[in-house]
Amino acid sequence: MKPAPLTPQEIVEHFRSTFGEGIEEAVIRERTEGVKKLPNYNIWITVRQDLLKPAIQTLIDISFPHLAVISGVDIAEQIELLYTFTIYFGVKHGEYTLTIKILVPKSDPRVPTISDLMPGAVFTEREKQEMLGIEVVGIPDPRRLFLPDDFPEGIYPWRKDEKGIPESMIKNLWEVKRPKDRPAPPLPEKPSTKECSMECADPLEPKTPAKEVKKE
Amino acid sequence: MKPTPALNRSLWVFHLNTGSCNGCEIEIVAAITPRYDPERFGIKLVGSPRHADVLMVTGPVPKKMKERVLRVYAQTPDPKVVICCGTCGESGGVYYDSYNLDGPIDDVIPVDVYISGCPPRPEAILHGVVKAIEKLERLERGAA
Amino acid sequence: MSDTKKDSTYTVPIGPIHPALKEPVMFTFQINGEVVESVDFSPGQTHRGIEWMGMRRNPAQIVHLTDRICGICGVTHSICFARAVEQIMDIQVPERGDYIRTIVAELERIQSHLLWAGVAAHELGFDSLFHLAWRVREESMDVIELITGNRVNYGIVQVGGVRRDIVEEQFPRIQQCLTYYRDLADKLLHLFLHDRTIMMRCRDTGVLSYEDALHLCVVGPTARASGVRKDVRVDYPYCAYGDLSIDPVLPDQLLDEIRGDVYDRIVVRVLEVVQSVDIIQQCLDNMPPGEITWEQKIAKLLLAFKKAKGEAVGRHEAPRGEALHYVKMTGRESPYAWKVKASSYSNLISWPVMLKGEQIADIPIIVASIDPCLSCTDRVAIVRDGERSILSKEELHRLSVEKTRRLQHG
Repeated sequence: MKPAPLTPQEIVEHFRSTFGEGIEEAVIRERTEGVKKLPNYNIWITVRQDLLKPAIQTLIDISFPHLAVISGVDIAEQIELLYTFTIYFGVKHGEYTLTIKILVPKSDPRVPTISDLMPGAVFTEREKQEMLGIEVVGIPDPRRLFLPDDFPEGIYPWRKDEKGIPESMIKNLWEVKRPKDRPAPPLPEKPSTKECSMECADPLEPKTPAKEVKKE
Repeated sequence: MKPTPALNRSLWVFHLNTGSCNGCEIEIVAAITPRYDPERFGIKLVGSPRHADVLMVTGPVPKKMKERVLRVYAQTPDPKVVICCGTCGESGGVYYDSYNLDGPIDDVIPVDVYISGCPPRPEAILHGVVKAIEKLERLERGAA
Repeated sequence: MSDTKKDSTYTVPIGPIHPALKEPVMFTFQINGEVVESVDFSPGQTHRGIEWMGMRRNPAQIVHLTDRICGICGVTHSICFARAVEQIMDIQVPERGDYIRTIVAELERIQSHLLWAGVAAHELGFDSLFHLAWRVREESMDVIELITGNRVNYGIVQVGGVRRDIVEEQFPRIQQCLTYYRDLADKLLHLFLHDRTIMMRCRDTGVLSYEDALHLCVVGPTARASGVRKDVRVDYPYCAYGDLSIDPVLPDQLLDEIRGDVYDRIVVRVLEVVQSVDIIQQCLDNMPPGEITWEQKIAKLLLAFKKAKGEAVGRHEAPRGEALHYVKMTGRESPYAWKVKASSYSNLISWPVMLKGEQIADIPIIVASIDPCLSCTDRVAIVRDGERSILSKEELHRLSVEKTRRLQHG
């Protein structure tokens, strides 16, 4: 039923022949690890923004891929979105990762949803909306994912520009001191400090039985 | 057997995770399993703060959790002892700066016993609970 | 439930106290009588902004942050991140380093699956099995401590290799641990798979079909239990896995068919414990000699980070499924961009499908069955006609236990 798996070069060729000029860049990286040095392949394909869905459809036609995640990077005037797929899983040592990259201008940060092709994409698309300020057109569930509901509008943690996290929002947990606005402890300070000083003097001293004797 | 007067009754612990990495969680659960077995002293984890004497709080308190931490603290009947388990609840630890954290825990609720470590070993957690027992005894004597 | 309200749908929010992993969840169930009609969930209660923090630190610091993304799969994220950075820097990890990473990763899988098995037994009201699973888990924790120095958050991976070697004196102890689990395997299989209670509660509960598993992009044991042959260790040679003889574990190794239910997920995980023992054995037998890291000195590493430019993905098969890190470096010390994809990130989305049409009493075991980390079901509030009543985790657990009893006596 299934045709023989394509090699990484054949996959890139297939994309190039399908989209021609639409493929801006295609790189195959090979890496070897372990003693036997079996190679694993990572394919990176940059496509024109409007070709995102046709490119994913082409991939689905080759073999149904697994969408690992959509990553995003803020690069100056544009946002780079990386749709990382893995393809040919289940073939021993035959799986490749394939990343489809598109560049989205910040002036019009809109991408179509791919959840109609890959139902599992909703989650990661929701995350890109809140983290990078991208609008995913047609997303079935546009709510926030990780950020709290009262998180300020127009601030996106992964942005490197003025829409990123402002200094004022950063809390340095290490410099928080013991709060002063606490009510007094429910017990008078005296016995507790006494016990504390005892404790500090000799932590190994079994003091609880001693207390028992005192109590009785 | 009554090793200390403090262990003369069961002590119930409610474990509240406020966004910890789960490292403390598995050590807390490991601490109640057969190797350490504090249940022979009546110490056990309970499912509701309303039943608890001790609140065992872990994690650096993300913004979504702050209100819940306060609510759980309010639901725990007095006298109660709060244990902060793990370094990130004490000082942020490895999460020392962030835009989404409201911690450390003692900035949100008062803490009585601190257990350091990332995560603390089960032995350390049990030691912390024993410290909490002592404090609870003092509180009860004071309240009576 | 009053009789007049019998047919109306009501909403049950669960959580978020006791969140798990990076994506803790608050559920909202639409319930009709005992049956779940639809499920919605909102994660993010433990969103700590780790990726954002990472963009302000250097990779040698980040490996300690990645240890603490999840306390249970501590080494997973470190391996992913280190592998991504190594690809950008274009350096090779010494072979011995790869093998040590593999051994620690598999020990982690053993402890994680046993942890899960215990939690699953607890959710079914089978507490003696919970305690048994956690007792035998301590053996792997001891060996992890022996190798890395820590029980949790091992801190063994550094970019370029590992920070501690496994020395000759440690081999007998690791071997002893493997023998222990090998002897235990039959008992575990018997306890989990031939128990009548587990069979009754888990067979045909929380079914995820092959098509759903494929299209929702689930990973790890959840995907394999539905028949998707997806295991990064087998498919994609990395670390020492390319050298070993391993095959993905599917439930049909033991059973006649794949149903994709909770029972199948138990089968896969218990068999994977056995598989991990075998992998560690292969690694110990073929351990290459030599260095364990590309560069011991942190100062030299930092210098190398400043020269690194490029982007890469690092992947690893965590106990819960594939984890993936995307890293982009631009010649500064800290990464320019970093995206963490934990395994549960992919798996959570299968909950609505699995839970639909199931009973309230089955919620704990189905939610636990994808191994989202311990329990997200600590507190349940039932909103019924706007009135709020609280159902604690204990009550939910009690419902689950009662169902077990009913089935046993029915």
